[in-house]
Amino acid sequence: MLFNSFDFGVFLIIVYLLYWSVGVSRRTAQNVILLIASYVFYGLWDWRFLSLIVASSLIDFSAAKAIFNSNNGHKRKLFLWISILFNLGVLIVFKYYNFFVDSFTELFSLPSSSEGFMIWDVIIPVGLSFYTFQTMSYTIDVYRKRIKATNNLVEFLCFVSFFPQLVAGPIERAGKLLPQFQKVRKFDVQNSKEGLRQILWGLFKKMLVADNVAVVVNAIYASPEDYGSLSLLYASALFFFQIYCDFSGYSDIAIGTAKLFGFRLSKNFNIPYLSRTVSEFWQRWHITLTKWFTDYVYGPLIKNSKRNYLIKTLALFVTMTLIGLWHGANWTFVAFGVFQAVTISIERIPIRYGNRQFSLITYLSKIPLSLTIIYSFTLIMTSCIFFRSDSIGTAIAIIKRILSFIPSENFSFVIGMKILIIPILIITEVSTRFKAYPLEGLEKKIARPLRWLLYYTIIFALIRYAGPKEQFIYFQF
Amino acid sequence: MQDQKSSSSIFSFKNGPFGFFKQALVFFVPVLLIFALAELMILQIPFNYTITSDYFKNHHDEIEILALGPSQTNSAINPKYLSNPAISLASTAQHHGLDFNILKQTRDRLPNLKYVILELSYSHLELPHNSDNFWKNAVYLKYYNVNAFGRNTYFKDKLIYLSNPDIYSKKLIDHYFIGIKEPNYNKYGFNESDFEGSFKSLDYNETSISKIHNFRINTTTDIDLFTKNTQFLFEMLDYCKSEKLNVVVCTMPLYKTYLKKRNPDILRRRDSILQIISVKYDNLRLFNKETDTVNFSASDFINQNHLNPKGAEKFSKALNLLINREFNN
Repeated sequence: MLFNSFDFGVFLIIVYLLYWSVGVSRRTAQNVILLIASYVFYGLWDWRFLSLIVASSLIDFSAAKAIFNSNNGHKRKLFLWISILFNLGVLIVFKYYNFFVDSFTELFSLPSSSEGFMIWDVIIPVGLSFYTFQTMSYTIDVYRKRIKATNNLVEFLCFVSFFPQLVAGPIERAGKLLPQFQKVRKFDVQNSKEGLRQILWGLFKKMLVADNVAVVVNAIYASPEDYGSLSLLYASALFFFQIYCDFSGYSDIAIGTAKLFGFRLSKNFNIPYLSRTVSEFWQRWHITLTKWFTDYVYGPLIKNSKRNYLIKTLALFVTMTLIGLWHGANWTFVAFGVFQAVTISIERIPIRYGNRQFSLITYLSKIPLSLTIIYSFTLIMTSCIFFRSDSIGTAIAIIKRILSFIPSENFSFVIGMKILIIPILIITEVSTRFKAYPLEGLEKKIARPLRWLLYYTIIFALIRYAGPKEQFIYFQF
Repeated sequence: MQDQKSSSSIFSFKNGPFGFFKQALVFFVPVLLIFALAELMILQIPFNYTITSDYFKNHHDEIEILALGPSQTNSAINPKYLSNPAISLASTAQHHGLDFNILKQTRDRLPNLKYVILELSYSHLELPHNSDNFWKNAVYLKYYNVNAFGRNTYFKDKLIYLSNPDIYSKKLIDHYFIGIKEPNYNKYGFNESDFEGSFKSLDYNETSISKIHNFRINTTTDIDLFTKNTQFLFEMLDYCKSEKLNVVVCTMPLYKTYLKKRNPDILRRRDSILQIISVKYDNLRLFNKETDTVNFSASDFINQNHLNPKGAEKFSKALNLLINREFNN
């Protein structure tokens, strides 16, 4: 059930009415409704994988309780490792096993399939990387004594499977989301209005920008050898906007939907194309994932050597490679991560000049924003070529073709005037950059008739000019 | 402040969850009305699906020939030139997956069906089948009562305007506001005025046509897809055999510039399948006109890979001869 489908609209109305009809004082009943709704939502993708999410939840619930109730360091560590190994095991089995086998057999020229390692014909459960990371962080946080383990199974199951953010985030921490299931949710009309507005803005980004831009990107990336430099450059730049609007559109719909039920989810994007540096980009892009890796991978790796550039760089490479791999079991994602690591580590190189020490980041922060945006966008777009290509070979071939200035015989805008949606998006977002999303708090500025006219215009544009319906890209991760 | 001011208006609602819900409903009423109006208006426009659907409903007991396939088949087969009662349910971007759905789900309604016309164009086996969410599934459901969604369907799945608002909005504007007349469909739903295209705009001048390089042609190979689609084709042909249906597998005429651009690997694989099926199935005949540049010239084409009604007449008559010669003896 896609967020941009009629089915989801009907589902949302039913859940909303049921949820609020039980009354705010019956919090447990509301949680049960949310839990059933979340499992129905997930089961409609593939009911077989419901058992996996339930198993994952139960193991982490029990492990965290055991950790919390024990004072024995070894026992606590044992339960932590049980939780981590189970979660990583599920990820490896469903997501990475075939990739590792393929890479291993290819590296050592070993036979695959029946003569050697078996390749499993297995589907990756939707949203696996998201909810696995969410449950893992819960156990780790309990182990670190940052939060208390909950004794309420329903609340915990809700935390793991909350349907607005179940399949593609934002990746929430137990410290923020779990308490929201533990307290009374009062209906706030203003918050609900904001929720609907944010959903509308998310649909705008997904259906009008991402899905339209996908037409160009898919056509050009299907046979890049048929296109010249300009076309490939155009498609690569558009892919950045496709993936941004696809994923941030999803996040907006998720956050808006959660607001309708009285929940607050974390902000996941902050106009990433305004980044001055690649380092800053990761503070604006998929923020909850970056924070997750910073807290649970990068942080522990540099724990005792915060000033050592070399150690920090090594930790950065490990973290960014894992972030790349998190996106998918393919060497292109590894290359994507490594590319980011290389650029960030270069940006961070400490340069001594006299008594002063600075880095490229400090230098870039002093030159005009327009120039630094060109710098960061070029690098990010290049890394996106790896992200979008089927193989590293294809990505390198595309980069070579772009740099060879091959004339673009076939160049056209493909989607015609619809391309104007990109400048409209940029102008809207930049002019409202201090808001969580452009339509936030609109009633303070515009009277209701004009406001409704604006909403109707957006809805009309969504219906009339939406691109061909594409699955959300991040569902596959 | 403005919300408080309007608290006595028709937009005043209690600030509870149900008041908010009612307000949202009021907001969406105009949107729903516009949808309903658009749906009603689009249903009033006569287009090929409605005509074909009417023909199907009125003649399903007589139909002996069923033509399936993509736009190339749709533009190449005019049932009027076939001596046995025939219908073409071929349409744009219709791959074997949909063909098989249509065949299986109309089989019971076509008691006299004897022949199935299928298409195996040069790259058909290396193109993905339509997905379960293909927008035209609504058309198949509404007009042919064929469920291609791969799931249970409900009211919304039959809404034509919503299935592709982009295309149908253009159609609404063309029909009601610009006043563009609908094409001249015959009783089978075949568009007999469909000459407009790049070739006509160049006055069928071969020199000018040879300078067009940016036409669409698939040259990307996909072995996995080829294997999967070939397997699917065999399943479809096995079904025809089990249903005692004769099959004609056609390749439609292509213009010479298109022929030159074909990927030899894709072509070789497709040709090998043509050879295999012609040997494997005794109820099957090939009608390979892909490289027939003698009988089909520029003036028979709309563009590089679609015949116009003049070309369709030639093709359909030749197909009719083949059916009569091979099966009717």
